[in-house]
Amino acid sequence: MNQSGYMAKSPTDDDLEPPAWRRLAKDAYYVLIPIVVVLVFWQMFAKMSGISPVLFPPLENIWNALVHTATEGTLWADLGGTFLRLFKAVAAGSVIGTIIGALMGYFRDWERAFVGPLNFLLAIPGTALFPLTMIWFGLTEMAILSILIYEVSLTVMANTWSGVKSIDVSLIRAARAFGANGASMFWRVLLPSAMPSIISGYRLAFSRAWRIVIIAEMLVSVSAGLGYRLFWAREFFQTEIVYATLLTIGITGLLFERLVLRSAEAMTVNRWGTVRELE
Amino acid sequence: MGELRVERLKKHYPARRGSGHRTGLRVFDDVTFTVGEGEFVSVIGASGCGKTTVLNLAAGLDTPSGGSIFVDGRAVTGPGLDRGIVFQEFALFPWLTVAENIAFGLKSMRVPGEQRKRTVAHIVDLVGLKQFADYYPNRLSGGMRQRVGLGRALAINPSVLLMDEPFGALDSVTREAMQNALAEIWIETRKTVLFITHDIREAVFLSDRVLLLAGRPSQIVLDLPIDLPRPRGRHDASFQEKERNLEVALRGGSSQTGDSGEAPAPREKTVSH
Ligand SMILES: Nc1ncnc2c1ncn2[C@@H]1O[C@H](COP(=O)(O)OP(=O)(O)O)[C@@H](O)[C@H]1O
Ligand SMILES: [Mg+2]
Repeated sequence: MNQSGYMAKSPTDDDLEPPAWRRLAKDAYYVLIPIVVVLVFWQMFAKMSGISPVLFPPLENIWNALVHTATEGTLWADLGGTFLRLFKAVAAGSVIGTIIGALMGYFRDWERAFVGPLNFLLAIPGTALFPLTMIWFGLTEMAILSILIYEVSLTVMANTWSGVKSIDVSLIRAARAFGANGASMFWRVLLPSAMPSIISGYRLAFSRAWRIVIIAEMLVSVSAGLGYRLFWAREFFQTEIVYATLLTIGITGLLFERLVLRSAEAMTVNRWGTVRELE
Repeated sequence: MGELRVERLKKHYPARRGSGHRTGLRVFDDVTFTVGEGEFVSVIGASGCGKTTVLNLAAGLDTPSGGSIFVDGRAVTGPGLDRGIVFQEFALFPWLTVAENIAFGLKSMRVPGEQRKRTVAHIVDLVGLKQFADYYPNRLSGGMRQRVGLGRALAINPSVLLMDEPFGALDSVTREAMQNALAEIWIETRKTVLFITHDIREAVFLSDRVLLLAGRPSQIVLDLPIDLPRPRGRHDASFQEKERNLEVALRGGSSQTGDSGEAPAPREKTVSH
Protein backbone atom coordinates (compact mmCIF):
# COMPACT_ATOMS: atom_id res chain seq x y z
CA MET A 1 0.00 0.00 0.00
CA ASN A 2 1.38 3.40 -0.87
CA GLN A 3 1.19 6.41 1.40
CA SER A 4 -1.63 8.13 -0.48
CA GLY A 5 -3.68 4.96 -0.50
CA TYR A 6 -3.37 4.81 3.25
CA MET A 7 -4.14 8.50 3.66
CA ALA A 8 -7.22 8.12 1.54
CA LYS A 9 -8.77 5.98 4.26
CA SER A 10 -10.62 8.86 5.87
CA PRO A 11 -13.45 8.65 8.41
CA THR A 12 -15.97 8.84 5.58
CA ASP A 13 -14.68 5.50 4.34
CA ASP A 14 -15.25 4.06 7.78
CA ASP A 15 -18.82 5.26 7.59
CA LEU A 16 -19.23 3.13 4.51
CA GLU A 17 -18.23 -0.02 6.38
CA PRO A 18 -21.24 -2.30 6.75
CA PRO A 19 -22.77 -2.45 10.23
CA ALA A 20 -21.83 -5.33 12.50
CA TRP A 21 -24.99 -7.37 11.87
CA ARG A 22 -24.47 -7.10 8.14
CA ARG A 23 -20.92 -8.43 8.45
CA LEU A 24 -22.09 -11.24 10.73
CA ALA A 25 -24.76 -12.13 8.22
CA LYS A 26 -22.13 -12.18 5.51
CA ASP A 27 -19.90 -14.49 7.54
CA ALA A 28 -22.83 -16.78 8.25
CA TYR A 29 -23.58 -16.83 4.55
CA TYR A 30 -20.13 -18.19 3.73
CA VAL A 31 -20.36 -20.78 6.47
CA LEU A 32 -23.85 -21.85 5.43
CA ILE A 33 -23.26 -22.29 1.71
CA PRO A 34 -21.07 -25.39 1.92
CA ILE A 35 -23.34 -26.87 4.59
CA VAL A 36 -26.39 -26.42 2.40
CA VAL A 37 -24.54 -27.88 -0.57
CA VAL A 38 -23.53 -30.96 1.43
CA LEU A 39 -27.07 -31.43 2.73
CA VAL A 40 -28.55 -31.16 -0.75
CA PHE A 41 -26.14 -33.69 -2.19
CA TRP A 42 -26.68 -35.95 0.79
CA GLN A 43 -30.39 -35.92 0.28
CA MET A 44 -30.12 -36.46 -3.48
CA PHE A 45 -27.73 -39.37 -2.95
CA ALA A 46 -29.88 -40.96 -0.25
CA LYS A 47 -33.04 -40.74 -2.33
CA MET A 48 -31.75 -41.52 -5.81
CA SER A 49 -28.76 -43.84 -5.50
CA GLY A 50 -30.87 -46.78 -4.43
CA ILE A 51 -28.61 -47.43 -1.47
CA SER A 52 -30.48 -48.83 1.48
CA PRO A 53 -31.60 -46.16 4.00
CA VAL A 54 -30.05 -48.39 6.66
CA LEU A 55 -26.64 -47.51 5.28
CA PHE A 56 -27.37 -44.02 4.13
CA PRO A 57 -30.50 -42.60 5.69
CA PRO A 58 -32.12 -39.48 4.22
CA LEU A 59 -31.98 -36.31 6.26
CA GLU A 60 -35.48 -36.54 7.67
CA ASN A 61 -34.68 -39.92 9.26
CA ILE A 62 -31.61 -38.49 10.96
CA TRP A 63 -33.56 -35.46 12.10
CA ASN A 64 -36.34 -37.66 13.45
CA ALA A 65 -33.81 -39.77 15.32
CA LEU A 66 -32.34 -36.64 16.82
CA VAL A 67 -35.75 -35.32 17.87
CA HIS A 68 -36.71 -38.74 19.21
CA THR A 69 -33.60 -39.15 21.37
CA ALA A 70 -34.02 -35.57 22.56
CA THR A 71 -37.63 -35.96 23.64
CA GLU A 72 -37.02 -39.39 25.04
CA GLY A 73 -34.10 -37.97 27.06
CA THR A 74 -31.31 -40.31 26.00
CA LEU A 75 -29.59 -37.52 24.07
CA TRP A 76 -29.31 -35.40 27.20
CA ALA A 77 -28.27 -38.33 29.33
CA ASP A 78 -25.54 -39.19 26.81
CA LEU A 79 -24.31 -35.61 26.57
CA GLY A 80 -24.39 -35.30 30.34
CA GLY A 81 -22.56 -38.60 30.85
CA THR A 82 -19.79 -37.74 28.41
CA PHE A 83 -19.29 -34.21 29.67
CA LEU A 84 -19.35 -35.27 33.29
CA ARG A 85 -16.54 -37.74 32.58
CA LEU A 86 -14.62 -35.06 30.75
CA PHE A 87 -14.99 -32.53 33.52
CA LYS A 88 -13.97 -34.97 36.22
CA ALA A 89 -10.90 -35.92 34.22
CA VAL A 90 -10.00 -32.37 33.26
CA ALA A 91 -10.44 -31.19 36.84
CA ALA A 92 -8.28 -33.92 38.35
CA GLY A 93 -5.78 -34.05 35.51
CA SER A 94 -5.25 -30.33 35.30
CA VAL A 95 -4.61 -30.01 39.03
CA ILE A 96 -2.03 -32.80 38.91
CA GLY A 97 -0.52 -31.54 35.67
CA THR A 98 -0.36 -27.90 36.71
CA ILE A 99 1.28 -28.62 40.05
CA ILE A 100 3.90 -31.06 38.80
CA GLY A 101 4.51 -29.06 35.62
CA ALA A 102 5.06 -25.89 37.65
CA LEU A 103 7.44 -27.65 40.02
CA MET A 104 9.33 -29.01 37.02
CA GLY A 105 9.59 -25.56 35.54
CA TYR A 106 10.80 -23.99 38.77
CA PHE A 107 13.06 -26.58 40.40
CA ARG A 108 15.91 -28.18 38.53
CA ASP A 109 15.65 -31.35 40.60
CA TRP A 110 11.99 -31.85 39.78
CA GLU A 111 12.73 -31.25 36.14
CA ARG A 112 15.55 -33.79 36.12
CA ALA A 113 13.44 -36.36 37.93
CA PHE A 114 10.32 -35.96 35.77
CA VAL A 115 11.49 -35.09 32.29
CA GLY A 116 12.45 -38.65 31.37
CA PRO A 117 9.25 -40.31 32.57
CA LEU A 118 7.16 -37.50 31.10
CA ASN A 119 8.66 -37.86 27.64
CA PHE A 120 8.36 -41.63 27.82
CA LEU A 121 4.71 -41.51 28.83
CA LEU A 122 3.91 -38.84 26.25
CA ALA A 123 5.05 -41.35 23.64
CA ILE A 124 2.36 -43.80 24.77
CA PRO A 125 -1.09 -42.80 23.50
CA GLY A 126 -3.64 -42.90 26.29
CA THR A 127 -5.78 -45.30 24.27
CA ALA A 128 -2.97 -47.89 24.32
CA LEU A 129 -3.54 -48.23 28.05
CA PHE A 130 -7.10 -49.53 27.71
CA PRO A 131 -6.24 -53.20 28.03
CA LEU A 132 -4.37 -52.40 31.20
CA THR A 133 -7.05 -50.25 32.83
CA MET A 134 -9.70 -52.79 31.84
CA ILE A 135 -7.69 -55.50 33.60
CA TRP A 136 -7.25 -53.29 36.63
CA PHE A 137 -10.69 -51.76 36.96
CA GLY A 138 -12.87 -54.05 34.86
CA LEU A 139 -15.52 -52.53 32.60
CA THR A 140 -16.14 -49.64 34.93
CA GLU A 141 -16.24 -45.89 34.93
CA MET A 142 -12.79 -45.92 36.47
CA ALA A 143 -11.30 -47.68 33.44
CA ILE A 144 -12.29 -44.63 31.38
CA LEU A 145 -11.53 -41.92 33.92
CA SER A 146 -8.05 -43.19 34.66
CA ILE A 147 -7.07 -42.92 31.01
CA LEU A 148 -8.59 -39.49 30.62
CA ILE A 149 -6.80 -38.25 33.71
CA TYR A 150 -3.58 -39.76 32.42
CA GLU A 151 -3.87 -37.97 29.09
CA VAL A 152 -5.01 -34.64 30.54
CA SER A 153 -2.40 -34.50 33.27
CA LEU A 154 0.47 -35.28 30.91
CA THR A 155 -0.63 -32.72 28.37
CA VAL A 156 -1.16 -30.03 30.99
CA MET A 157 2.11 -30.95 32.67
CA ALA A 158 4.14 -30.53 29.49
CA ASN A 159 2.57 -27.15 28.74
CA THR A 160 2.83 -25.83 32.28
CA TRP A 161 6.43 -26.96 32.50
CA SER A 162 7.41 -25.13 29.34
CA GLY A 163 5.32 -22.12 30.35
CA VAL A 164 6.99 -21.75 33.73
CA LYS A 165 10.40 -22.48 32.29
CA SER A 166 10.11 -19.84 29.63
CA ILE A 167 9.23 -17.09 32.11
CA ASP A 168 11.28 -13.98 31.54
CA VAL A 169 14.08 -14.08 34.16
CA SER A 170 13.88 -10.33 34.54
CA LEU A 171 10.35 -10.79 35.92
CA ILE A 172 11.63 -13.22 38.52
CA ARG A 173 14.34 -10.76 39.49
CA ALA A 174 11.81 -7.96 39.74
CA ALA A 175 9.53 -10.14 41.82
CA ARG A 176 12.38 -11.02 44.16
CA ALA A 177 13.34 -7.37 44.43
CA PHE A 178 9.78 -6.52 45.39
CA GLY A 179 9.45 -9.12 48.08
CA ALA A 180 8.15 -12.30 46.43
CA ASN A 181 9.73 -15.57 47.48
CA GLY A 182 8.86 -19.23 47.91
CA ALA A 183 5.12 -19.77 47.84
CA SER A 184 4.30 -16.16 47.05
CA MET A 185 6.67 -16.29 44.09
CA PHE A 186 4.75 -19.31 42.85
CA TRP A 187 1.26 -17.86 43.25
CA ARG A 188 1.96 -14.25 42.40
CA VAL A 189 4.45 -14.63 39.56
CA LEU A 190 5.15 -18.09 38.18
CA LEU A 191 1.57 -19.19 37.82
CA PRO A 192 0.16 -16.02 36.25
CA SER A 193 3.08 -15.62 33.90
CA ALA A 194 2.68 -19.21 32.73
CA MET A 195 -1.10 -18.82 32.50
CA PRO A 196 -1.34 -18.37 28.71
CA SER A 197 0.61 -21.53 28.09
CA ILE A 198 -1.23 -23.38 30.86
CA ILE A 199 -4.52 -22.44 29.27
CA SER A 200 -3.45 -23.58 25.84
CA GLY A 201 -2.42 -26.81 27.57
CA TYR A 202 -5.97 -27.14 28.90
CA ARG A 203 -7.32 -26.58 25.43
CA LEU A 204 -5.08 -29.21 23.93
CA ALA A 205 -5.87 -31.57 26.81
CA PHE A 206 -9.57 -31.11 26.28
CA SER A 207 -9.42 -31.91 22.59
CA ARG A 208 -7.34 -35.03 23.27
CA ALA A 209 -9.65 -36.13 26.06
CA TRP A 210 -12.64 -35.50 23.83
CA ARG A 211 -11.33 -37.99 21.27
CA ILE A 212 -10.44 -40.54 23.89
CA VAL A 213 -13.67 -40.39 25.85
CA ILE A 214 -15.72 -41.29 22.78
CA ILE A 215 -13.57 -44.32 22.04
CA ALA A 216 -13.49 -45.30 25.70
CA GLU A 217 -17.26 -45.25 25.98
CA MET A 218 -17.47 -47.62 23.01
CA LEU A 219 -15.07 -50.10 24.59
CA VAL A 220 -16.35 -49.96 28.12
CA SER A 221 -20.12 -50.16 28.14
CA VAL A 222 -21.37 -47.57 30.51
CA SER A 223 -24.95 -46.55 31.00
CA ALA A 224 -24.83 -43.28 29.09
CA GLY A 225 -22.41 -41.44 26.86
CA LEU A 226 -22.08 -40.37 23.25
CA GLY A 227 -19.54 -43.08 22.44
CA TYR A 228 -21.69 -45.67 24.13
CA ARG A 229 -24.68 -44.47 22.10
CA LEU A 230 -22.72 -44.95 18.85
CA PHE A 231 -21.79 -48.47 19.86
CA TRP A 232 -25.31 -49.31 20.98
CA ALA A 233 -26.88 -47.90 17.79
CA ARG A 234 -24.58 -50.05 15.67
CA GLU A 235 -25.46 -53.15 17.69
CA PHE A 236 -29.13 -52.53 17.00
CA PHE A 237 -28.52 -51.41 13.45
CA GLN A 238 -30.03 -47.99 14.05
CA THR A 239 -27.95 -46.14 11.51
CA GLU A 240 -29.85 -42.87 11.82
CA ILE A 241 -28.97 -42.77 15.51
CA VAL A 242 -25.32 -43.33 14.59
CA TYR A 243 -25.51 -40.34 12.27
CA ALA A 244 -27.46 -38.24 14.77
CA THR A 245 -24.88 -38.99 17.45
CA LEU A 246 -21.98 -38.13 15.16
CA LEU A 247 -23.68 -34.83 14.43
CA THR A 248 -24.09 -34.17 18.15
CA ILE A 249 -20.45 -35.00 18.82
CA GLY A 250 -19.26 -32.66 16.08
CA ILE A 251 -21.45 -29.75 17.11
CA THR A 252 -20.92 -29.91 20.86
CA GLY A 253 -17.19 -30.47 20.51
CA LEU A 254 -16.87 -27.50 18.23
CA LEU A 255 -19.05 -25.26 20.38
CA PHE A 256 -17.23 -26.12 23.58
CA GLU A 257 -13.85 -25.56 22.02
CA ARG A 258 -14.88 -22.23 20.50
CA LEU A 259 -17.02 -20.75 23.23
CA VAL A 260 -15.27 -21.91 26.38
CA LEU A 261 -11.65 -22.75 25.64
CA ARG A 262 -10.86 -20.22 22.94
CA SER A 263 -12.37 -17.38 24.91
CA ALA A 264 -10.43 -18.32 28.05
CA GLU A 265 -7.30 -18.25 25.99
CA ALA A 266 -8.17 -15.01 24.26
CA MET A 267 -8.91 -13.40 27.60
CA THR A 268 -5.45 -13.89 29.04
CA VAL A 269 -3.44 -13.70 25.87
CA ASN A 270 -5.06 -10.60 24.43
CA ARG A 271 -5.29 -8.74 27.67
CA TRP A 272 -1.72 -9.26 28.72
CA GLY A 273 -0.34 -8.95 25.22
CA THR A 274 1.63 -12.14 25.60
CA VAL A 275 1.09 -12.99 21.96
CA ARG A 276 2.92 -9.89 20.91
CA GLU A 277 5.86 -10.75 23.12
CA LEU A 278 6.01 -14.26 21.76
CA GLU A 279 6.15 -13.09 18.18
CA MET B 1 17.21 7.46 56.68
CA GLY B 2 18.69 6.48 53.35
CA GLU B 3 22.42 6.10 53.22
CA LEU B 4 24.05 3.62 50.87
CA ARG B 5 27.62 2.63 51.66
CA VAL B 6 29.67 0.44 49.36
CA GLU B 7 32.89 -0.81 50.91
CA ARG B 8 35.77 -2.51 49.12
CA LEU B 9 33.35 -4.24 46.82
CA LYS B 10 34.80 -7.04 44.73
CA LYS B 11 33.20 -9.13 42.01
CA HIS B 12 34.88 -11.88 40.06
CA TYR B 13 33.26 -14.31 37.68
CA PRO B 14 34.86 -17.73 37.77
CA ALA B 15 36.45 -19.23 34.66
CA ARG B 16 33.99 -21.24 32.67
CA ARG B 17 34.53 -23.43 29.69
CA GLY B 18 33.36 -21.75 26.53
CA SER B 19 32.74 -18.40 28.22
CA GLY B 20 35.80 -16.81 26.66
CA HIS B 21 37.26 -16.10 30.09
CA ARG B 22 39.71 -18.91 30.59
CA THR B 23 41.04 -17.39 33.75
CA GLY B 24 37.84 -15.83 34.99
CA LEU B 25 36.78 -12.20 34.89
CA ARG B 26 37.62 -9.65 37.55
CA VAL B 27 34.91 -7.05 37.05
CA PHE B 28 36.21 -4.99 39.97
CA ASP B 29 38.46 -5.58 42.95
CA ASP B 30 37.97 -2.68 45.26
CA VAL B 31 35.14 -0.23 44.78
CA THR B 32 34.24 2.07 47.64
CA PHE B 33 31.77 4.94 47.68
CA THR B 34 28.93 6.34 49.71
CA VAL B 35 25.65 7.83 48.62
CA GLY B 36 24.59 10.16 51.37
CA GLU B 37 21.05 10.58 52.58
CA GLY B 38 18.94 12.41 50.02
CA GLU B 39 21.76 12.43 47.53
CA PHE B 40 21.43 11.62 43.83
CA VAL B 41 24.56 9.85 42.63
CA SER B 42 25.13 8.56 39.12
CA VAL B 43 27.59 5.90 38.09
CA ILE B 44 28.75 6.32 34.55
CA GLY B 45 31.08 4.18 32.49
CA ALA B 46 31.58 2.34 29.25
CA SER B 47 29.41 -0.65 28.51
CA GLY B 48 30.71 -3.81 30.17
CA CYS B 49 32.60 -1.99 32.93
CA GLY B 50 30.39 -3.40 35.67
CA LYS B 51 27.74 -0.76 36.29
CA THR B 52 24.88 -3.24 36.30
CA THR B 53 26.94 -5.51 38.51
CA VAL B 54 27.30 -2.78 41.14
CA LEU B 55 23.58 -2.14 41.08
CA ASN B 56 22.65 -5.83 41.27
CA LEU B 57 24.94 -6.26 44.24
CA ALA B 58 23.35 -3.29 45.97
CA ALA B 59 19.95 -4.74 45.12
CA GLY B 60 20.94 -8.03 46.69
CA LEU B 61 20.13 -9.87 43.47
CA ASP B 62 23.74 -11.01 43.16
CA THR B 63 26.40 -11.82 45.76
CA PRO B 64 29.75 -10.04 45.92
CA SER B 65 33.08 -11.88 45.85
CA GLY B 66 34.25 -9.60 48.63
CA GLY B 67 33.48 -6.39 50.45
CA SER B 68 30.11 -5.26 51.68
CA ILE B 69 27.20 -2.94 51.10
CA PHE B 70 25.27 -1.19 53.83
CA VAL B 71 21.89 0.48 53.70
CA ASP B 72 21.49 2.72 56.73
CA GLY B 73 24.23 0.72 58.40
CA ARG B 74 22.61 -2.70 57.82
CA ALA B 75 24.57 -5.08 55.62
CA VAL B 76 22.84 -6.16 52.42
CA THR B 77 22.45 -9.95 52.30
CA GLY B 78 19.69 -10.30 49.72
CA PRO B 79 16.85 -8.43 48.07
CA GLY B 80 14.85 -6.27 50.42
CA LEU B 81 12.06 -3.75 50.44
CA ASP B 82 14.35 -1.08 51.88
CA ARG B 83 15.60 -0.69 48.32
CA GLY B 84 13.41 0.14 45.33
CA ILE B 85 14.73 -0.98 41.99
CA VAL B 86 13.97 0.35 38.53
CA PHE B 87 15.08 -1.95 35.73
CA GLN B 88 16.32 -1.00 32.30
CA GLU B 89 14.01 -3.54 30.67
CA PHE B 90 11.07 -2.28 32.82
CA ALA B 91 10.28 -5.83 34.02
CA LEU B 92 6.62 -5.02 34.64
CA PHE B 93 4.23 -7.87 35.35
CA PRO B 94 2.13 -8.11 32.18
CA TRP B 95 -0.82 -9.76 33.95
CA LEU B 96 -1.20 -6.87 36.39
CA THR B 97 -2.62 -3.44 35.71
CA VAL B 98 -0.61 -0.27 36.29
CA ALA B 99 -2.12 0.12 39.76
CA GLU B 100 -1.55 -3.55 40.59
CA ASN B 101 2.06 -3.39 39.41
CA ILE B 102 2.62 -0.39 41.64
CA ALA B 103 0.97 -2.20 44.53
CA PHE B 104 3.14 -5.31 44.16
CA GLY B 105 5.72 -4.42 46.80
CA LEU B 106 3.06 -3.07 49.15
CA LYS B 107 1.31 -6.43 49.01
CA SER B 108 4.58 -8.15 49.88
CA MET B 109 4.78 -5.85 52.88
CA ARG B 110 1.19 -6.78 53.79
CA VAL B 111 0.11 -3.16 53.84
CA PRO B 112 -3.63 -3.23 54.63
CA GLY B 113 -6.00 -2.69 51.67
CA GLU B 114 -7.26 0.77 52.49
CA GLN B 115 -3.81 2.21 53.08
CA ARG B 116 -2.48 0.42 50.03
CA LYS B 117 -5.13 2.01 47.86
CA ARG B 118 -4.27 5.46 49.15
CA THR B 119 -0.55 4.96 48.53
CA VAL B 120 -1.13 3.60 45.03
CA ALA B 121 -3.41 6.51 44.17
CA HIS B 122 -0.78 8.95 45.39
CA ILE B 123 2.03 7.25 43.44
CA VAL B 124 -0.01 6.88 40.26
CA ASP B 125 -0.56 10.61 40.44
CA LEU B 126 3.08 11.33 41.23
CA VAL B 127 4.35 9.46 38.17
CA GLY B 128 1.67 11.02 35.98
CA LEU B 129 -0.41 7.95 35.17
CA LYS B 130 -3.70 8.94 36.71
CA GLN B 131 -5.76 8.11 33.62
CA PHE B 132 -3.96 4.83 33.05
CA ALA B 133 -4.25 3.12 36.43
CA ASP B 134 -6.36 0.30 35.00
CA TYR B 135 -4.33 -0.26 31.85
CA TYR B 136 -2.27 -3.36 31.28
CA PRO B 137 1.41 -2.63 30.53
CA ASN B 138 1.23 -3.89 26.95
CA ARG B 139 -1.02 -0.97 26.08
CA LEU B 140 1.45 1.64 27.36
CA SER B 141 4.30 3.35 25.54
CA GLY B 142 7.88 2.79 26.66
CA GLY B 143 8.01 6.02 28.63
CA MET B 144 4.77 5.24 30.41
CA ARG B 145 5.99 1.74 31.21
CA GLN B 146 9.04 3.12 32.92
CA ARG B 147 6.84 5.52 34.86
CA VAL B 148 5.13 2.40 36.19
CA GLY B 149 8.54 0.92 36.98
CA LEU B 150 9.45 4.06 38.88
CA GLY B 151 6.09 4.08 40.65
CA ARG B 152 6.50 0.46 41.71
CA ALA B 153 9.85 1.34 43.27
CA LEU B 154 8.62 4.54 44.94
CA ALA B 155 5.48 2.93 46.33
CA ILE B 156 7.38 0.92 48.94
CA ASN B 157 8.96 4.17 50.16
CA PRO B 158 12.46 2.69 50.03
CA SER B 159 15.49 4.10 51.83
CA VAL B 160 17.40 3.94 48.58
CA LEU B 161 16.27 3.99 44.97
CA LEU B 162 18.41 1.94 42.60
CA MET B 163 18.05 2.62 38.90
CA ASP B 164 19.89 0.75 36.16
CA GLU B 165 19.89 2.75 32.92
CA PRO B 166 16.15 3.22 33.37
CA PHE B 167 15.78 5.33 30.24
CA GLY B 168 18.28 3.42 28.12
CA ALA B 169 15.57 1.68 26.14
CA LEU B 170 13.70 4.88 25.28
CA ASP B 171 13.98 7.16 22.27
CA SER B 172 15.79 10.46 22.83
CA VAL B 173 12.68 12.65 23.05
CA THR B 174 10.95 10.39 25.56
CA ARG B 175 14.19 10.02 27.42
CA GLU B 176 14.49 13.76 28.00
CA ALA B 177 10.88 13.98 29.07
CA MET B 178 11.49 11.17 31.55
CA GLN B 179 14.62 12.86 32.86
CA ASN B 180 12.60 16.01 33.48
CA ALA B 181 9.89 13.99 35.19
CA LEU B 182 12.41 12.17 37.37
CA ALA B 183 14.13 15.44 38.32
CA GLU B 184 10.78 16.85 39.44
CA ILE B 185 9.84 13.73 41.35
CA TRP B 186 13.23 13.69 43.00
CA ILE B 187 12.88 17.30 44.15
CA GLU B 188 9.51 16.34 45.60
CA THR B 189 10.62 13.14 47.33
CA ARG B 190 14.35 13.75 47.99
CA LYS B 191 15.11 10.06 47.80
CA THR B 192 18.62 8.68 48.03
CA VAL B 193 19.30 7.53 44.49
CA LEU B 194 21.97 5.39 42.88
CA PHE B 195 21.53 5.91 39.18
CA ILE B 196 23.35 3.96 36.49
CA THR B 197 23.77 5.43 33.04
CA HIS B 198 26.16 5.71 30.15
CA ASP B 199 24.72 9.03 29.06
CA ILE B 200 26.85 11.97 30.23
CA ARG B 201 24.15 14.59 29.75
CA GLU B 202 21.66 12.51 31.68
CA ALA B 203 24.11 12.12 34.55
CA VAL B 204 24.88 15.86 34.70
CA PHE B 205 21.22 16.77 34.46
CA LEU B 206 20.09 14.59 37.34
CA SER B 207 22.96 14.10 39.75
CA ASP B 208 24.52 15.70 42.78
CA ARG B 209 27.63 13.64 42.11
CA VAL B 210 28.85 11.54 39.21
CA LEU B 211 31.16 8.58 39.71
CA LEU B 212 33.14 7.39 36.73
CA LEU B 213 33.83 3.68 36.62
CA ALA B 214 36.64 2.62 34.29
CA GLY B 215 39.56 0.27 33.85
CA ARG B 216 39.84 -3.45 33.97
CA PRO B 217 39.22 -4.44 36.68
CA SER B 218 37.12 -1.30 37.07
CA GLN B 219 37.75 1.40 39.59
CA ILE B 220 36.17 4.68 40.42
CA VAL B 221 38.50 7.01 38.57
CA LEU B 222 36.53 10.20 39.13
CA ASP B 223 34.08 11.53 41.70
CA LEU B 224 32.69 14.74 40.24
CA PRO B 225 30.28 16.93 42.21
CA ILE B 226 27.62 18.63 40.08
CA ASP B 227 26.91 21.72 42.12
CA LEU B 228 24.54 23.34 39.65
CA PRO B 229 21.27 24.82 40.86
CA ARG B 230 18.05 22.99 39.99
CA PRO B 231 16.07 22.94 37.80
CA ARG B 232 18.97 22.70 35.37
CA GLY B 233 19.13 23.94 31.83
CA ARG B 234 20.83 21.58 29.45
CA HIS B 235 22.07 24.52 27.39
CA ASP B 236 23.58 26.58 30.18
CA ALA B 237 27.30 27.21 29.87
CA SER B 238 28.03 25.78 33.32
CA PHE B 239 26.06 22.64 32.47
CA GLN B 240 27.97 22.11 29.26
CA GLU B 241 31.25 22.64 31.02
CA LYS B 242 30.43 19.77 33.37
CA GLU B 243 29.50 17.66 30.39
CA ARG B 244 32.87 18.41 28.79
CA ASN B 245 34.76 17.58 31.99
CA LEU B 246 33.04 14.24 32.15
CA GLU B 247 33.53 13.52 28.50
CA VAL B 248 37.26 14.10 28.73
CA ALA B 249 37.46 11.92 31.81
CA LEU B 250 35.35 9.21 30.19
CA ARG B 251 37.61 9.13 27.12
CA GLY B 252 40.69 9.00 29.29
CA GLY B 253 39.14 6.34 31.48
CA SER B 254 38.09 4.10 28.65
CA SER B 255 41.40 4.46 26.82
CA GLN B 256 42.89 2.35 29.59
CA THR B 257 41.22 -0.61 28.04
CA GLY B 258 42.40 0.45 24.59
CA ASP B 259 45.95 0.65 23.31
CA SER B 260 46.81 4.23 24.14
CA GLY B 261 49.56 4.22 26.72
CA GLU B 262 48.80 7.74 27.93
CA ALA B 263 45.93 6.89 30.21
CA PRO B 264 45.74 9.19 33.22
CA ALA B 265 45.57 6.28 35.67
CA PRO B 266 48.11 3.46 35.57
CA ARG B 267 47.08 0.65 33.25
CA GLU B 268 45.53 -2.27 35.00
CA LYS B 269 47.04 -5.68 34.63
CA THR B 270 44.71 -8.02 32.84
CA VAL B 271 43.90 -11.26 34.52
CA SER B 272 45.07 -13.56 31.79
CA HIS B 273 48.66 -14.70 31.20
N1 LIG C 1 26.77 -13.94 34.96
C1 LIG C 1 27.93 -13.51 34.41
N2 LIG C 1 28.93 -14.38 34.15
C2 LIG C 1 30.09 -13.97 33.60
N3 LIG C 1 30.35 -12.70 33.29
C3 LIG C 1 29.41 -11.77 33.51
C4 LIG C 1 28.14 -12.13 34.08
N4 LIG C 1 27.40 -11.00 34.20
C5 LIG C 1 28.15 -10.00 33.70
N5 LIG C 1 29.35 -10.45 33.30
C6 LIG C 1 30.44 -9.64 32.76
O1 LIG C 1 30.79 -8.66 33.71
C7 LIG C 1 31.11 -7.45 33.06
C8 LIG C 1 30.30 -6.32 33.62
O2 LIG C 1 28.96 -6.47 33.22
P1 LIG C 1 27.84 -5.38 33.54
O3 LIG C 1 27.86 -5.07 34.98
O4 LIG C 1 26.57 -5.87 32.98
O5 LIG C 1 28.35 -4.13 32.70
P2 LIG C 1 27.62 -2.76 32.35
O6 LIG C 1 26.31 -2.74 33.04
O7 LIG C 1 28.55 -1.70 32.82
O8 LIG C 1 27.47 -2.73 30.87
C9 LIG C 1 30.90 -7.66 31.58
O9 LIG C 1 32.16 -7.88 30.99
C10 LIG C 1 30.05 -8.89 31.52
O10 LIG C 1 30.34 -9.63 30.36
MG1 LIG D 1 24.31 -2.59 32.26
